[in-house]
Amino acid sequence: MENKNEVLLKVDHLCQYFRMGRKDLKAVDDVCFEVKKGEAFGLVGESGCGKTTTGRSIIKLYNITSGNVYFKGQRIGAGTRSYKDAISKARKDAAKRIAELKQEKDVSAARKAEIDAEIETIRKELAATVAENRALIHDARSDNREVDRQYQASQLKKLEEEYSEKFDAAQRDEIKLKALKKEYKSRCRVAKKSRLITQIQMIFQDPIASLDPRMTVRDIIAEGLVINGIRDKDYINEKVYEILETVGLVREHADRYPHEFSGGQRQRIGIARAVIMQPEMIIADEPISALDVSIQAQVINLLNDLRESLGLTIMFIAHDLSVVKYFSDRIGVMYFGKLVELADSDELFKYPLHPYTKSLLSAIPLPDPVYEKQRTRIIYNPIAEHDYSTDTPSLREISPGHFVYCNNAEEERYKKIVNGETDG
Amino acid sequence: MNKEVKLSVNNLKVSFRTDAGKVQAVRDISFDLYKGETLAIVGESGSGKSVTSKAIMGISAVNAIYEGGEILYDGQDLVRIPEEEMHKLRGDKIAMIFQDPLSSLNPIMRIGKQITEAMLLKNKANRKEGRATFNKTLATLSQTIKTALAQNGNTAVSSAEVDSFIKTFDNFNIQAIKLENSYNASRTAAQELIAIAEDFLFLVEKNQKVDAVATLGLIERKLKAINDRYFTTGYADALKEHMSALENVRRIERSKVTIADAVRKVVKSTAAKKESSSQTVEALGAIKATVEEMLARTPYNFFRIGYYVYKKPETDLSLMPAEEANELAYNFLTEDFMEAFIRLEKVAVEYSFNKTLENKKLAIAELEKAIEFFKKGGFTAKEAFALCKETNKAVRSAIDPLAVIKDNVAYTFGGAFEREVEKYFFYIKNNPKEEARFARQTAKHDALVAKGKNVDWKVVPKAVIEPEKQIETIVSVLTRVANRFRSDVESAANVDLDKRCIEIIDYLKEKASQVVYTLSKRIAKEKAIKLMEEVGIPEPRIRYRQYPFEFSGGMRQRIVIAIALSANPDILICDEPTTALDVTIQAQILELINRLKRERDLSIIFITHDLGVVANMADRIAVMYAGKIVEYGTANEVFYNPQHPYTWALLSSMPDLDTNEKLDAIPGTPPNMIYPPVGDAFAERNKYAMEIDFEMQPPMFEVSPTHYAATWLLHPNAPKVEIPKIITERIKRMKERGGNHGE
Repeated sequence: MENKNEVLLKVDHLCQYFRMGRKDLKAVDDVCFEVKKGEAFGLVGESGCGKTTTGRSIIKLYNITSGNVYFKGQRIGAGTRSYKDAISKARKDAAKRIAELKQEKDVSAARKAEIDAEIETIRKELAATVAENRALIHDARSDNREVDRQYQASQLKKLEEEYSEKFDAAQRDEIKLKALKKEYKSRCRVAKKSRLITQIQMIFQDPIASLDPRMTVRDIIAEGLVINGIRDKDYINEKVYEILETVGLVREHADRYPHEFSGGQRQRIGIARAVIMQPEMIIADEPISALDVSIQAQVINLLNDLRESLGLTIMFIAHDLSVVKYFSDRIGVMYFGKLVELADSDELFKYPLHPYTKSLLSAIPLPDPVYEKQRTRIIYNPIAEHDYSTDTPSLREISPGHFVYCNNAEEERYKKIVNGETDG
Repeated sequence: MNKEVKLSVNNLKVSFRTDAGKVQAVRDISFDLYKGETLAIVGESGSGKSVTSKAIMGISAVNAIYEGGEILYDGQDLVRIPEEEMHKLRGDKIAMIFQDPLSSLNPIMRIGKQITEAMLLKNKANRKEGRATFNKTLATLSQTIKTALAQNGNTAVSSAEVDSFIKTFDNFNIQAIKLENSYNASRTAAQELIAIAEDFLFLVEKNQKVDAVATLGLIERKLKAINDRYFTTGYADALKEHMSALENVRRIERSKVTIADAVRKVVKSTAAKKESSSQTVEALGAIKATVEEMLARTPYNFFRIGYYVYKKPETDLSLMPAEEANELAYNFLTEDFMEAFIRLEKVAVEYSFNKTLENKKLAIAELEKAIEFFKKGGFTAKEAFALCKETNKAVRSAIDPLAVIKDNVAYTFGGAFEREVEKYFFYIKNNPKEEARFARQTAKHDALVAKGKNVDWKVVPKAVIEPEKQIETIVSVLTRVANRFRSDVESAANVDLDKRCIEIIDYLKEKASQVVYTLSKRIAKEKAIKLMEEVGIPEPRIRYRQYPFEFSGGMRQRIVIAIALSANPDILICDEPTTALDVTIQAQILELINRLKRERDLSIIFITHDLGVVANMADRIAVMYAGKIVEYGTANEVFYNPQHPYTWALLSSMPDLDTNEKLDAIPGTPPNMIYPPVGDAFAERNKYAMEIDFEMQPPMFEVSPTHYAATWLLHPNAPKVEIPKIITERIKRMKERGGNHGE
């Protein structure tokens, strides 16, 4: 595939804070990554590190606090906190400087005019910054709101173009024209309800909790289509059967209820529900951690098959590194809301650089008693490991495609490690 | 190495009655658990691993039926002992850790209370039980002595003299209890004092808010409570000094508080408060040191001193150091009372032992008769119950009332036997509805078949006891007691009766001291905090007062482990303890369990579906599928030389860090256990299945003396089958890596 490098999803300085009393809980803090078309991107970390929240923020289940999410080049989510912070910071700075200048003015009457002019410029600067950020906030809000409307409009436009030709062609034939008009109308209805975000679908962790126990499998799978305005029963049924077969279930299962299925089958229903929307991307949020080992393999194989046959892009969220390694092309490691390491999966396992990644790798249990008994787990203690008192860390590229969250000193050290290893 | 078997499960079968029919969850499994080892039970969900563990704990669901087999722990069959007996074992000897830590903790109770709850309740029950048992045992002893004397025609000792002996024993024990009670009260106060002081010092160290005046008041009260003569021997002056010092410090504190209050109104400062603590800390440290010293001394033996004081009330042994006093009292007790008492006791012990030995021989005959009777069949309920009563009587009379170590097989025989016989007669007739349903469905099924239709459903079997199986169970109950009696009779010559006499006295002593051992809430708290430290919870003193929701998943699981350990169990059952946790926390919890196992010499049954977890933990592994153990061996054997196709499938469906090939998923799902397959249960999902797999269940084939697998592939006539490539390659890799590590 030549468009392998096309960026499908871009997450740019994403922050997701939750209100906890007076303080904010920084669930996701300044996370940046890109997901390319057709790849499987893995996100690992311990529970509570914000990997699920990242997934949910991307799919707009939360209103993001700050940062941008781009899907196919279009901004689908934007937060305003950073701009607001910029405004308040600018205001504070200006006020401080003005206060200083005023004090000076009281002391020396000679420079009065000069100081007045200076204050004036500060005020102007401030007004400019505020206006700029306000414009950004307005943009973000309107993007957030209008993204679906724009998408719908573009879809309608496409339809109009497509059908205007068809109408022209079938002008003589009354019956055909009527049928075409009907088709056009129904497709227009669908287009009016369509949303860009439906092209990203999610598979949830717990197949029992994420399926409505009072709906039949058919209703569950078809719900997305129905919401999108499709009314043709036969079409829906056909689609449901087709999808059921794709995920390894049979037609007869359509009229059953979720409780009649085993764990693995339930997860298959969850996958079917996501796939029927013909998404470009699937966010799989720990799809196998609630399943038995033997069933896990079935589901992993199914996801892999679907990825190949439907050309899906998958973002795979899990805490089990061995599964992620097996499944993903690139892996991002998260720790307490920060992305600490991002690399190709082979690269990550060959040269884990961040100490947290090393500790994660050392905790994977292997089916090998002799090795297991000798294994020593590396314990990650961020306070002992890093000294960030003088130098603030950020996500930096150590070698091509390999990013690590570090400061200057660490960056050099890591670079040495990578170069030394690759040379030797 | 000859290892001690802690728990042994033999041919256990457990089913569940459901609306759809009988689900056979566990079908005939057997394993032994040795002391200090970890046995891992691995299998998919629904393979019956949790059912097995719940059967061991005696907490099966209400619709569970034990269809046969036994679980032997400490000579008792856990399947058949009554609930009261089980109550004594559960949590105390066999503890369990469940999968989800949040659902096994009470959300509205503080963690501390949850850890100490069981300790405190157990202590209360123990005190009550000690008193009752003491009285009962002494009464039995006196009764037996009298009968023995009468039987032997021994008139040298009259019945009145026996009574006086017993009365003396009783009275001086009461004296001892009184003394020890007072001693223990002081001891408890001392321990509590240390606990309070430690709490206070901890808070001061952490620069947290403390109420010094209130604490000093508490300490003073506790110090006053340390007033027992025996406990304070040699320290009376020191305690007085401390008291006055405490008084001083308290006065200072009090004045400081008022000053501080006044000061605080003017300027916001807590400097005065911090300053005041330093003197207090010093004084408290000194008191703590003294009290700790007092606690560390040799305790008095009140059983001996009780007699001394009872005979010579005017003397005061507390003036002597503990070692001397113990020695003196011991000599006096032995010469004045014990020798004669033991002589008397021995008569009773000998008599009772010989008599029950005779009774045992009779009982064996009786039991054999009963076995014959049940095996022959064709009996009515009336006959059976009459025989049941007779046998029970014979067995009961064969129990030695003076044996301290209770023979639980015989003790629990009566109830178990009667229940099994009842089951045989009443379960079938009690279920006419089920009978009717079965008849109706069979008729329908047959009619459909007769019409030549393809019937895709089966008739659900009757949910009743099978008579033949039930007879087998009854016979096994009888045989077990008979065997026990036979071995008793054989080893009768080796029994040391003198030792038994001492044992009885020790037993009485133990029960008497059980009455006076009180665990106060403060001491329980200290114990809980020690436990929390042991399981690796940082800052236990703060954590102690928190609620479960304030803990993270891993910490919660640690709390659950601490609760399980609070009773100091023998056997720990871990039912998927790490499934709800993520990888790093999982590794921590596994390390913790491993460490506790080493330190406490625990025997662990570890249940999981993840073979990776097991590799680090297990000494031996049992792989379960559809209610049966399919492979059984040491960890190395199961991982490096797996034999059963199911084990292969489990291993090959796990991704590891080196594979990139397609995983070998196990196709299909486990069979419905309402209709368990005739042959090998795994045959339907097994690509190596042979014809015989669908027809006959494979027996356990021996691979090595410790390694067994139930698959027809091990039969000499079976075709040679290659282990899947993914596994052989992985094993090769593992061996290389292991070799490198070894060098």
